[in-house]
Amino acid sequence: MVKSQIMSDRSPAIEISGISKEYTLGRSTASLRESISSLFRKKEKVDSFLALNGIDFSVDRGERIGIIGKNGAGKSTLLKILSRITQPTEGEVKIYGSVASLLEVGTGFHPELTGRENIFLNGSILGMTRKEIQAKLDEIITFSGVEKFLDTPVKRYSSGMYARLAFSVAAHLEPEILIVDEVLSVGDAEFQRKCLGKMDSVAKAGRTVLFVSHNLDAVRKMCDRCVWLEAGKVRMDGSAEEVVNAYLSDIELRSEEVHPSERMDRNGTGDVRIHDVKISNPDSDLIESGRPFEVSVEYQSASADTFHCLAAVGVYKEDGTRIGTLSTRFKDELVELRNGSKLTFKVERLPLAPGKYYLNSFIGHRTEQEVLDFVERVRSFEVHASRFFSESDEIYYPYDTVYFDHKFSLE
Amino acid sequence: MGTSPIFVGMRDKPVVIWKNRRLWEFSELRKYRELFWMLAWRDFKVRYAQTFIGVLWGVIQPVLTIIILYVVFGRFAQVDTGDIPHIVYSTVGVMAWTYFAFVLSNAGNSIISAQAMIRKIYFPRIIIPLSKAVVGFIDMAITSAILVVLMFVFEVPVSSNILFLPLFIIFNVLVSLGLGILISALTIRYRDVQYVVPFAIQLGLYITPTAYPAEFAITHLPSWASVLYFMNPMAGIVEGYRWAVLGTPMPGELAWVSVISAVVLIVVGLTYFQKVDGKIADHV
Repeated sequence: MVKSQIMSDRSPAIEISGISKEYTLGRSTASLRESISSLFRKKEKVDSFLALNGIDFSVDRGERIGIIGKNGAGKSTLLKILSRITQPTEGEVKIYGSVASLLEVGTGFHPELTGRENIFLNGSILGMTRKEIQAKLDEIITFSGVEKFLDTPVKRYSSGMYARLAFSVAAHLEPEILIVDEVLSVGDAEFQRKCLGKMDSVAKAGRTVLFVSHNLDAVRKMCDRCVWLEAGKVRMDGSAEEVVNAYLSDIELRSEEVHPSERMDRNGTGDVRIHDVKISNPDSDLIESGRPFEVSVEYQSASADTFHCLAAVGVYKEDGTRIGTLSTRFKDELVELRNGSKLTFKVERLPLAPGKYYLNSFIGHRTEQEVLDFVERVRSFEVHASRFFSESDEIYYPYDTVYFDHKFSLE
Repeated sequence: MGTSPIFVGMRDKPVVIWKNRRLWEFSELRKYRELFWMLAWRDFKVRYAQTFIGVLWGVIQPVLTIIILYVVFGRFAQVDTGDIPHIVYSTVGVMAWTYFAFVLSNAGNSIISAQAMIRKIYFPRIIIPLSKAVVGFIDMAITSAILVVLMFVFEVPVSSNILFLPLFIIFNVLVSLGLGILISALTIRYRDVQYVVPFAIQLGLYITPTAYPAEFAITHLPSWASVLYFMNPMAGIVEGYRWAVLGTPMPGELAWVSVISAVVLIVVGLTYFQKVDGKIADHV
């Protein structure tokens, strides 16, 4: 394990020492009868697992630190502890300065209240005083772009307007330490872009940023330092470049894939689950640039109900850069999924350059807000060179990622 | 520059998470007082200000309660309330009782209904049940207005003890909050508590001397049972309200049982809340 040295002339922003968090498995609530009757029985051993197991590191003021790791490695738990949402089972955290996290966008919004009222409510939940909100009100309103609907209850807002208003309140916080959990902002590229922008401006002002992401490329660009969590422990701590590279080669080593239905590291309610994802080229055994490309996703559900869903598959480059999305949303309609449904996305001419890619698969109930199932790196695939630009010649640009179907003219 | 958010540690004096945490971090609660008022204001807006039926409902409920108590206890059972007309007598009881019932049921559910916030952001959790105490005053004000009208109509003079009324109101607030906070914390672990509460409130109206004098309990019950009766803290409080407003006899010695039981409830409520405080987000 590489441990970064804390230089004596730098002052700390966060000091984490010996943090562990234990969760009890199974139901977290009980009925009265159960707990009363358990008083008279011998204590059963309760299953528990350690989401975090002895985390130590500190972050200096002005440092931009990335946190990476697979789902279930403890990233979200760590963030919850740092933002004081939950308490660690053991250990101590010292925080020097005010903290804001972009996981709380829109928290406490009430559908019956107007946009203006919600700005005040949300602002005070985020810890701003009335005066501060008042002082920034005009800015917040302009930024949100919903001026006209300010006195309309937010239940009449479109989801886009709602999100913009929510974000503009959060964007006007001026924390000394900013926590961004990109993992939670599934599927909304606009929001992700805004988060990154906010992060950048906070970092430029010399404040501390903690960035949790699966976008390794963004971590590499935005952060000076990176901590890699694995199974609740710090696997590596060092420069962003170093840690991201080590993480990538580790993923490659584990090339044998677990079947999607057996993946444990998934998010969502699980009412409908991604059972399998298959990638194919109907014309060939290989996936090739400029050739047809099909992704079919099979779903399973324990219930007999039909779910109105938004289904999407994210296409990523091996290093985590997002390339594009195949989604049922582009037609703005919901698909009805039930046990055994199979959804196929078809691309006529695959616009990807040769290289390694992977897919994430997502199902949301009606909107992106309620996640039914989300599996990352559900399938990896390699795109092989083929004739994308002309049928006669094979042109191959090794540094490209996307091929544009294009023409040119000369005058 | 507006330094803002969530929790503010000084650069030289950090916020230490979860070590030596006391419930009454008064300085912290003070910092969050705006949130407290915002939450109370939100409840008020949502409940009354935006729906016509909300305001109407706020009036209809106490009016119906008062009428039914009058018909059942005043007419059918012919409860003797001395010089004071029964309807005025019981309206004072309703005033104290509806506040208690409102705060108890709303504070009791409050943590569960605020799950989305609790999962995402830090603030002293106790603010949520505390903020419910404010909106309850709206109902109390409506009932007091009804009481004033009734006292005017039936020409009932106001007692000079009225100066002590604020004392009983404060006591009423503390008891309602203490029990509400206990229930809100219990509901996190034991979800079925939320089904017990409405039923308990329904029964409570009868075992509290809202529409009859508490003396009945003393004269008609064996002494051990009347002690039990006064363990309901609202028994002493309702008697106190009536002494203050109408000048009925001072609450007797047994009212001390109510006081003790109120203090115990408040202490137990706060202690238990503190015990689960840091883990609330793991359960909701």
